[in-house]
Amino acid sequence: MKRVAGVWTSMAAAAVLLLAASPRAILGAAGQPPQAEANGDQDLAIIVNQSNPVDNLSQQELRTVFLGERSHWPNGRRITLVMMEPGFAERKAVLHEIYHMNESDFSRHFMQGLFTGEVFVSPKTLASPVGVRKFVFNVPGAIGYVRASDVDDTVKVIRIDGHLPDDKDYSLRIQAHPAK
Amino acid sequence: MWFRTPIILRSVNALAGRAARGRALVLLLGLAPGAPTLHAQQTPSGTDEDKRTIQMLLERIDRLEARVAKLEAAQPAAASAPQAAAPASQAAAPPPSKLEAANTVSAQTLSPGAPPAQAPAPAEAEAQIETSVDHPEPERMDMSKTLLRIRGFGDVSFHGDNVHGDTSSFSLGQLNLFVTSDISEKFKFLGEIVFESGPDNFYEVPGGHRNEVGVDVERYLLQYSYNDYFNLAVGRYHTAIGYYNTAYHHSTWFQTTTGRPLLFQFEDTGGILPVHNVGASASGRIPSGKLGLHYVAEIGNGRASRAPLDDEPVQNEVDENNHKAFNLAVFSRPTAVQGLQLGFSAYHDLLTPANLPSAVGETILAAHVIYIVPTFEWLNEALVIRHSPQGSSRIFQTPGFYTQISKRWGSYRPYFRYQYINASSSEPIFPDVKLRAGPSVGLRYDASESVALKLQYDYTALRQQPASNGLTLQLGFTF
Repeated sequence: MKRVAGVWTSMAAAAVLLLAASPRAILGAAGQPPQAEANGDQDLAIIVNQSNPVDNLSQQELRTVFLGERSHWPNGRRITLVMMEPGFAERKAVLHEIYHMNESDFSRHFMQGLFTGEVFVSPKTLASPVGVRKFVFNVPGAIGYVRASDVDDTVKVIRIDGHLPDDKDYSLRIQAHPAK
Repeated sequence: MWFRTPIILRSVNALAGRAARGRALVLLLGLAPGAPTLHAQQTPSGTDEDKRTIQMLLERIDRLEARVAKLEAAQPAAASAPQAAAPASQAAAPPPSKLEAANTVSAQTLSPGAPPAQAPAPAEAEAQIETSVDHPEPERMDMSKTLLRIRGFGDVSFHGDNVHGDTSSFSLGQLNLFVTSDISEKFKFLGEIVFESGPDNFYEVPGGHRNEVGVDVERYLLQYSYNDYFNLAVGRYHTAIGYYNTAYHHSTWFQTTTGRPLLFQFEDTGGILPVHNVGASASGRIPSGKLGLHYVAEIGNGRASRAPLDDEPVQNEVDENNHKAFNLAVFSRPTAVQGLQLGFSAYHDLLTPANLPSAVGETILAAHVIYIVPTFEWLNEALVIRHSPQGSSRIFQTPGFYTQISKRWGSYRPYFRYQYINASSSEPIFPDVKLRAGPSVGLRYDASESVALKLQYDYTALRQQPASNGLTLQLGFTF
């Protein structure tokens, strides 16, 4: 009887621990997209391969690159766009700030671009910021995005309208609670 | 199973290349943690020898990880090496500029707790990276890239009208298989294979049989992308006359309305334009700053004009004469107004109809002003088709235009279109077209991202005939 009671106690303790764990930790462990930081907005860094000669893009140039309207970098490398999977706050920010589209419009844009032949290659979709960083590190023509806090020196952060993440006038932010 | 891990460990050193090592390491990392578990299942209590072996394996994994990290840390230098052979203006690795210094600083300040600057062996992204890793060698076939991607489009309609002899009918629309393949970084294949039912109809001359399903290769292109300023495509393509013909191909799902404007109807459904062409097409951007200019230059066989008209109008294999059709289009997408496109095109061909004593010069001038954003579209196109029989002073001009406007509210998009074509009754190439003009009103409902339901009413005024009223309910989808 004592042993049965011990088992129940252990299970109850495990349940309490499970409930006490943050949803982000649980989802993160399951590979689900993390939610936006609870402590406020974060800057979104646009990253390219270290060998990419481009240091700065205007908002408009960034948009044309992300829309697939530009296919090559000035050094001749083909541009490979890396997107994070739907559901990530980073992706939501990019759709909102750069594309001005929702998921449905985004899918349709690239489907139609490929259909007309105007877009040469569809974006790669990766499941984590680490994956994006590694992809950009490995592919000379890649461009992607991660939270500024996820940047390391394996990739190069490009300026947007002359500003880097954390600058006062930097325009790309991940909103903790994006407007719907 | 227990013996497999050491074998793989030994094989890692024999594998050539970083990617292979990376893959082996991924496999190793996947297997190694499982090994104790498997072993534990075999001998629940475990032994000291097993523990020593596990420890030895873990140490070996550490050594291999360190080695992979070292190799990958050396990669940026290796990656920049091939570029040294390229023109200095392009290939020179950027000097350690202020920005890079800023990058480093920002990386250090923004992620103080980040791991050391190294690229650990890619695990989840490795498979995708593998297909995109840059090769400095000249273009060559890579079997891992020549995969076909197929997307399908289809529609089913119910249509009724008051035209004498017509019956209300369910109709299968085109079943379109859109096929692409990345042959290499620069080359790509694009094709559209369409299964369609119903008879062909060339300038009101029917061909084929009702209710039969036939197959057409509507597009068949090898594309070469050199840079933003020069792309070349060879094969069968949609002629860059105006806007609609290259923006919308053989799928009704992409289109707001149930069908194409009369001006841009396909050749085998009574269309008057050389919608398809077989030849070569060059396109790209024109350095023009905020004007956003683009060009398209095409040369091809043009459209057949010989009788009988129930033959295939697209000259897929043989041109009816030695004169080639030329088309030049220029359009602008000004950066100041996102979604705006303005352009014009000029097309010229020489037609040699068998039922006419002389050849007929064909010139098509088109202009368009388009504004499209996700929630709103306004399309305006006008063109004139000019036929000039050689040896005659008479010139036949056929003007046409359409305007289409729609706005999206949630999943609903009401739309309106007005279109007009006015061909002379003595027009030498398409005498049966005459006047066609009238409005269309409809509603598109996107039931999901892939399925759209459309209801459209069309009124068409005709010369010397009663006007027609038609109603179409269409379910378009992509899969």
